[in-house]
Amino acid sequence: MNHLWLFLLDTAGRMTSWDFWAAYLPYYLIGAVVTIELTVVAVISGTLLGLLAALAKIGAAKTLLTAGLKRLASLYTWAIRGTPLLVQIYLVHFGLNQFDITLSRFESGAIALSVNAGAYITEIIRAGILSIDKGQMEAARALGMSYAKAMRRVIIPQAYRRLTPPLINEFVALLKDSSLVSVIGLVELMRTARIYSSSTFRPFDAFLLAALIYLLLTTVFTTIGNYVEKRLEVYEK
Amino acid sequence: MTEPVVRMKGVEKYFGSLHVLKNIHLSVAPGEVLVICGPSGSGKSTLLRCVNHLEPIDEGEIFVLGQPVGFRTLPNGRKVPVKEQDMNRLRSQIGMVFQRFNLFPHMTALENVMEGLVTVKKVPRDEAREKAKRLLEKVGLGDKLQNYPSQLSGGQQQRTAIARALGMEPKLMLFDEPTSALDPELIGEVLAVMKDVAKEGMTMMVVTHEMGFAREMADRVIFMDQGEILEEAEPEKFFTEPEHERTKAFLRRILAS
Repeated sequence: MNHLWLFLLDTAGRMTSWDFWAAYLPYYLIGAVVTIELTVVAVISGTLLGLLAALAKIGAAKTLLTAGLKRLASLYTWAIRGTPLLVQIYLVHFGLNQFDITLSRFESGAIALSVNAGAYITEIIRAGILSIDKGQMEAARALGMSYAKAMRRVIIPQAYRRLTPPLINEFVALLKDSSLVSVIGLVELMRTARIYSSSTFRPFDAFLLAALIYLLLTTVFTTIGNYVEKRLEVYEK
Repeated sequence: MTEPVVRMKGVEKYFGSLHVLKNIHLSVAPGEVLVICGPSGSGKSTLLRCVNHLEPIDEGEIFVLGQPVGFRTLPNGRKVPVKEQDMNRLRSQIGMVFQRFNLFPHMTALENVMEGLVTVKKVPRDEAREKAKRLLEKVGLGDKLQNYPSQLSGGQQQRTAIARALGMEPKLMLFDEPTSALDPELIGEVLAVMKDVAKEGMTMMVVTHEMGFAREMADRVIFMDQGEILEEAEPEKFFTEPEHERTKAFLRRILAS
């Protein structure tokens, strides 16, 4: 018998890992739902934030407004990517409290994750847009399209196909990073594991089950991503 | 005297410290086919790209269809940018064909031709589709309507690009080395389409190394070198008795190959 699998067995007449998992799985699934909710909110709002910031960063700084937005976007990605997510989560949840802004744990977690993801997604989208051949913008402008219309009709539809793989990576990273939100007491998957780890004194079983559920979720995410990517590749050489 | 379609006055253009266009004066009359040739780096593509303001000019003025391109000069001599909408409207009347085709890869041939009609000229979709179909049939691609650019040969892509430009019913067509990226056996089909366009009376500015096309179709040929227009002549004179040494050297090189 392989020693690695001994933990699954009842060696001293106690509860086995299987018994533990069977007993606590439903509670873990409730936690997993919160993790998924958190990730979906962060993916959607992070992508919107990222798209706006990327457009601000790419666009010409012709007017005072566009120049200001450009600076703001640079500041945003610089600050967020240069500080730990953990610190950002504390700043939102506890830091804002100092100004009498009280957010629920889910709200704090969702905001911190969205803002964080947005900064990384900004750079992904920016790189994707810049990777589109310059001739595409020129051809669109030569037809008489405005910059905005050329972006909407020609550049972004092409960029977003190229963006799919790195965005999927980012979404998977986000799903995993959402475990950090457990530090402010939001009962998501990681927090659930910590609760049952201490209440049952079976930390290995408790955290391994969480790990397996994370693995399942990231695998599903990646698989959907690969499928979408294949579907979008039709016209490319 | 009819107003020229293109009028360039004292145009200067720099890329950093590189002086790419030097004191360019040029007019193109309605229905005229002007061929621009010269060695690479002579500024001929840049000149073409200045005409529809894909490149802004540093000095001088350009008028297309009587309207200022990029900048207009106020009575007090100050230059102000032309309004974005006015520039877009003017560009929609100037067709451009690129060396690298620049078709939209996420759209079929039909959609490529429809795009400008629908989004810029606001032609209803059904009408635009019919028109795009007719144009693609005209350039010999009636059986490729639903193909994506990646499924077309270079020659077919360039013919689609010409159809896309023609769809806008331009008053002026700019061709920027339209056959330079093509395999030799595909050049003929693109030149044939360009000849048809010329025969229909289109005003054309064509940057090309295809001297056969120049000889047959051009009303006037200009030779550029180091940012200057060195020579300007009717094709007959241009090819038989060029004035400048550099023109002669260029023609020897290009006709030998």
